[in-house]
Amino acid sequence: MNQQELQALRAMIATHKRWDYMFGVLGILALMLALMTFVALFADMAVNGLGRINVDFLTSFPSRRAANAGILSAWVGSVLVMLVTACAAVPLGVAAGVYLEEYAPKNWVTDIIEINVTNLAGVPSIIYGLLALGLFVYTFGLGQSILTAGLTLALLILPIVIVATREAIRAIPQIIREGAYACGATTWQVVSDHIVPYSSAGILTGVIIGMARAIGETAPIITVGALTFIAFLPTAPFAGDPPAGLFDWLFAPFTVMPIQMFNWTSRPEAAFLNNAAAAGLILVLMTLTMNGLAIWLRYRLRKNIKW
Amino acid sequence: MTDHTSKNFDLELESLRTYVLKMGGAAEQQVRKAIEGLYSGDQAFLETVIRDDDRINQMEIDIDALCNQVIAKRQPTAIDLRMIVSVLKVISDLERIGDKARKVARLGITLSSLSGDGVLNEGLNHMTEIALKMLRLALDGFARVDVSLATEAVHLDKLVNAEYQSISRQLITYMMEDPRAITRSLDTLTIAKAIERVGDHATNIAESVVYMAKGLNVRHISADEIEDRIARS
Amino acid sequence: MNPITEHNSRETLSPLKAEAKKLNFYYGNFQALKNINMPIYEKKVTSLIGPSGCGKSTYLRCFNRMHDLYPGNRYEGAIEFHPDRTDLLSKKVDPIEVRMRISMVFQKPNPFPKSIYENVAYGLRVRGESARSVIDDKVEAALRSAALWGEVKDRLKELGANLSGGQQQRLCIARALATDPELLLFDEPTSALDPIATASIEELITELKERVTILIVTHNMQQAARISDFTAYMYIGEMVEFGVTDQIFIKPKRKETEDYITGRFG
Repeated sequence: MNQQELQALRAMIATHKRWDYMFGVLGILALMLALMTFVALFADMAVNGLGRINVDFLTSFPSRRAANAGILSAWVGSVLVMLVTACAAVPLGVAAGVYLEEYAPKNWVTDIIEINVTNLAGVPSIIYGLLALGLFVYTFGLGQSILTAGLTLALLILPIVIVATREAIRAIPQIIREGAYACGATTWQVVSDHIVPYSSAGILTGVIIGMARAIGETAPIITVGALTFIAFLPTAPFAGDPPAGLFDWLFAPFTVMPIQMFNWTSRPEAAFLNNAAAAGLILVLMTLTMNGLAIWLRYRLRKNIKW
Repeated sequence: MTDHTSKNFDLELESLRTYVLKMGGAAEQQVRKAIEGLYSGDQAFLETVIRDDDRINQMEIDIDALCNQVIAKRQPTAIDLRMIVSVLKVISDLERIGDKARKVARLGITLSSLSGDGVLNEGLNHMTEIALKMLRLALDGFARVDVSLATEAVHLDKLVNAEYQSISRQLITYMMEDPRAITRSLDTLTIAKAIERVGDHATNIAESVVYMAKGLNVRHISADEIEDRIARS
Repeated sequence: MNPITEHNSRETLSPLKAEAKKLNFYYGNFQALKNINMPIYEKKVTSLIGPSGCGKSTYLRCFNRMHDLYPGNRYEGAIEFHPDRTDLLSKKVDPIEVRMRISMVFQKPNPFPKSIYENVAYGLRVRGESARSVIDDKVEAALRSAALWGEVKDRLKELGANLSGGQQQRLCIARALATDPELLLFDEPTSALDPIATASIEELITELKERVTILIVTHNMQQAARISDFTAYMYIGEMVEFGVTDQIFIKPKRKETEDYITGRFG
């Protein structure tokens, strides 16, 4: 290659590399836009709400006076509802996902089920609220309770859990499955010894992401009839007189964080807006903590999984 | 034969084949010249025959190295493997034929310096022609992977042996008639024996060709039996 | 010509371990194997060679009914498994039963993401074995047979995936051996390994044939020549030639086999 050709080659490479550079800049701009929006929202809430956050705020019931109002019943309600949601959504979602991936015959019935599961993820959450109102509250008579809310949110995140389970299972190389079958394992042995353990990181991530979404849901909870003003906690197991049963709290009336916030923002006094901001800050922190937990769990569990 | 996927492998085998045929041609040439020199008594000519044997020896070494290279690089199998194995045997036979030519040339020089009547006759010449025809047939069989040429060569060996018997009887007669002819006769008998050995080596080459073409080991059996086995394979 | 008597006359009378009889195999409508008849001799290594897509892996995977894992696959004919003459392909025979008797080692090392110990013990666990001492003994014996014990005896709790490629493949061989299979299937076991690891696996296979019958698919013809007693050449779903390995590599009977093994394959 002579000197002239070499020059031309270098010029061409330089031109092509310019595009690399330009796309890099564009990407950073796009990222900044998303990040800055979040930071601005968070900062705004922090400015308004940080002053209200203290131990009293977390341990007080709502009150007519903004300065005395707290979020005790709201966060306890949120935590309990999430507990019910997790207990309902995880076994159902994992079982459904495992069935679809490992057991279901590949035919048109399975195809239709798959399409429906995917579509369910796109149904507006208020529709789930309406369904739950009719099904859980009236038909099953579960009342406007923590159980009803938890089951409703479980339905809402079920598609997310199923899809996450299926994705996690699909990530397991076929050769691992074949290796297990070649040892003489039955499908159930393959699922319980290999498929579920190896996909647990992905499943957990999906569950937590679903829960992070559910914890912020307002519409379906309002629809099933959460109260906006609750100045008591659900009875703890075996507490009170006569002693409550182990699961009595499931049927207690409740409120959750987003509803509490919604309630405060609709008050005329400015002080309540600061309360709402403070509650929002805590809600965001709860969500971030859950996401953090998801990342940590995924890292922990994946460390032992190498193909 | 279809070509190998590797063109270089084809080239290597082809050059190996060509080299062996060239060596075969050279060996045949040496025998022919040694006998010519023997009849003409041209000592200088016979000296060149002796010198040229080194060329054949060198060819054997070169082909040997080539075979080793092909084995190491290509791991030949089936027909390719059998060809390489046959080449290794064929070149050792060809080298021995070269040695026989040199021996004839040496004795030719000795004989031409002896005084007295020659004991040579047309028998030796005829025997040489047959032995060289065998060699040519065997080498043609090698070049064309043709067993029919090779078996023809093996058949001819009987003629060579018969010719040798007749020459040796004749020489014995000379020796009994005239004791002064004994030295000359013994040398001539050694020459006839050398040519008879050329026929044996040509037979070996022909047998190697049968192995190469058919994968049959046909050493140490008669020509008819060889044909029989080929027919049955 | 009866293939069994023909080959047995040359090898000193080894009994049959399995025999494919008029085996046809279909992926849906595509016929992948066509009328395969082939003997497998006990405690011998039989290798399957042929170009990619010739059906050799498909054939191998018939032996442990791997095709049953996927829909639309269909067998015809039989693979008789000796000495009980069970037809491995029969619908009446549970594929689990077949896989309990016949182990398999795959192309890519596929240790489970579990400890070395648990990998080897898995076949025993599947069989419901729970006595710690029994499992310990069998794991050690299997690792010894796979020439891996010395390298891993102090790190049985470590992940199988932390081993080198060759060690992983030997781990998979140990896993296959732990359950004392009657037939061991190898599906191109060294194609993902470097030459040194390949040599150690080949050495291992030659040692293993003392105790188990081996059927191996290989892309590497020299490997087949080095390690196997019998070789079968397959082409587009057909068994072109089956014979004693030495005969196949020195004087194959069929022109197609000769062209393939000498590298004249177009």
